[in-house]
Amino acid sequence: MVGARESLPAPAARATAPPAILSALGSGCSGDPALRFEGVVRRYGQHVALDHLNLEVARGETVALLGPNGAGKSTTISLLLGLLRPHAGCVEVLGTSPRRAVAQGRVGAMLQTGSGSGLPPGVKVASALHLVRRLYRHPAPFEATVERAGIGELLGRQTHRLSGGQAQRVRFAVAIAGDPELVFLDEPTAAMDVESRRSFWRMMRQFGEEGRTIVFATHHLQEADQIADRVVVVNRGQVVANGPGATLKAAVASRQVRFVTGRPDEQLLDQLEGVTDVALRGTCVTLNSLDADATIRALVHRGVAFSDLEVTGAGLEEAFVALTECDRVPDKRRAP
Amino acid sequence: MSGLLAFGRFEVGRLLRSWKFLAITVGFPVVFYMLFLHDQRPGTIVDGAVPWRVYLMVSMSSFGALVAALNAGGSRLSTEKASGWARQLRVTPIPAWSYVGTKVTATMVVVFPVIVLVELVGMAFGGVRLGAGTWIELTVLMWVTALPFAALGVFVGFIVNAETAYPVMTALMFILGYFGGLFNPVGHMSHALQVAARVLPSFHHASLGLALIDGKGFGVQHALVLAAYAVVLSLAIIWKHRVEESRGVA
Repeated sequence: MVGARESLPAPAARATAPPAILSALGSGCSGDPALRFEGVVRRYGQHVALDHLNLEVARGETVALLGPNGAGKSTTISLLLGLLRPHAGCVEVLGTSPRRAVAQGRVGAMLQTGSGSGLPPGVKVASALHLVRRLYRHPAPFEATVERAGIGELLGRQTHRLSGGQAQRVRFAVAIAGDPELVFLDEPTAAMDVESRRSFWRMMRQFGEEGRTIVFATHHLQEADQIADRVVVVNRGQVVANGPGATLKAAVASRQVRFVTGRPDEQLLDQLEGVTDVALRGTCVTLNSLDADATIRALVHRGVAFSDLEVTGAGLEEAFVALTECDRVPDKRRAP
Repeated sequence: MSGLLAFGRFEVGRLLRSWKFLAITVGFPVVFYMLFLHDQRPGTIVDGAVPWRVYLMVSMSSFGALVAALNAGGSRLSTEKASGWARQLRVTPIPAWSYVGTKVTATMVVVFPVIVLVELVGMAFGGVRLGAGTWIELTVLMWVTALPFAALGVFVGFIVNAETAYPVMTALMFILGYFGGLFNPVGHMSHALQVAARVLPSFHHASLGLALIDGKGFGVQHALVLAAYAVVLSLAIIWKHRVEESRGVA
């Protein structure tokens, strides 16, 4: 997955400054976005949950909202669904207000439910799903929804007798029952084990391939990176980073390979496996690499004489933590 | 519109398929009627107006309506809030008010057969004989004026959580049933309790039915109190709904 995206321009990561991640996709170039968030402010009493948040998602895109708990992901989704109103700024969904988009049946959602199932208690899965379909004017065929969500064997079960992962699948079926153009998923895999998680995302990806727009919130970096076309990192109610998973990874998760060499050949170094950026200071070379092991192997292979080798840099998770711990980092986007 | 109808049918169907719900709402008033029917000597006249078996039939249909309303609205609503289902419905095309509206409507739909059933039991086992017109008037009147009970059930379901719902509903059933004079005619109570009964909608609901049979006709003051309850509780529901909405929880 990363390999396919390595050709994208990698940003210049500075060691000291927080990384500025580029937005290669969905940066306002499309005329009719699936959703638009402009300068949105939402408070809960004194607490500012969203602080002038800007966000745009193009139709057909799969976007992850990534951030730690309390970053503002769920608030963002609630605003996009019209469950909350912004205190300032504007929210637009499918070219209209969130409430109208929901009323038109063009939006589906899987919300966070805490310990609850998110389903009506005391009925069978099939009857809950039949009901939800009837609330929409143009629902997807029942069988197609059942098959897509993989809940065929759950139809005869009572909704309150489902395991966490099973309920999650049924809630996914509920979210897509109305054949929506746009789907919001708030931490959809929270109650799932590794295997159900994997099959859930397989399902999701298929759904996205039909040209639908998917926005999901997660605090799993891995999940965001593997599933989404674009990752929007949210922290303290602001977008702190925004770009394709690979770009994000390159900026936050690359390692630095430092060494001293006699006559550094910048062009050769730049072409080494894994390298995304080269910095020279005299004979001292600093390489940014997505794969430090491969880079070092390539160094040896190409016969580059080096000494004082040093590999530094945080792992994926640590880099993400570092990124979201930076207080009030402006959303630096470079226009394409 | 078809979405709302489907939702309404779903709600009613869910109530009628629930054995727990049916056992409580149908069982309580019918069993109590049979138990208390011979509690008083035959020919006992209640409050100087109607025979005991007639009083009991009217008060038990009141009680049945009350129990049905509290169980259909109250405890179910709080469980659905806890499960996240109420919120999920908010992101479907049906309008925001329809959740509450459908709850009240579905409650009223299931209250009707409960009232009819208690009347049938009164007819069959209590030997209650009324003119056909009076039966119809009584049924419709008892049913329509059960609206404050339905509103009460939904309102309480809104403000309590899933854990406290059951005790609160039980307490309400007891207070409204006993102190409203549904088990023991108000005339048999102390003065203080008689005054207290006049505050409760259950007293006025049963009194409305009794006045009709008694030949006193339509009890305007009872109807006004019930209407006031319906209005106040509906406003309370709307207020609570708005508050929850602005917090994004309902």
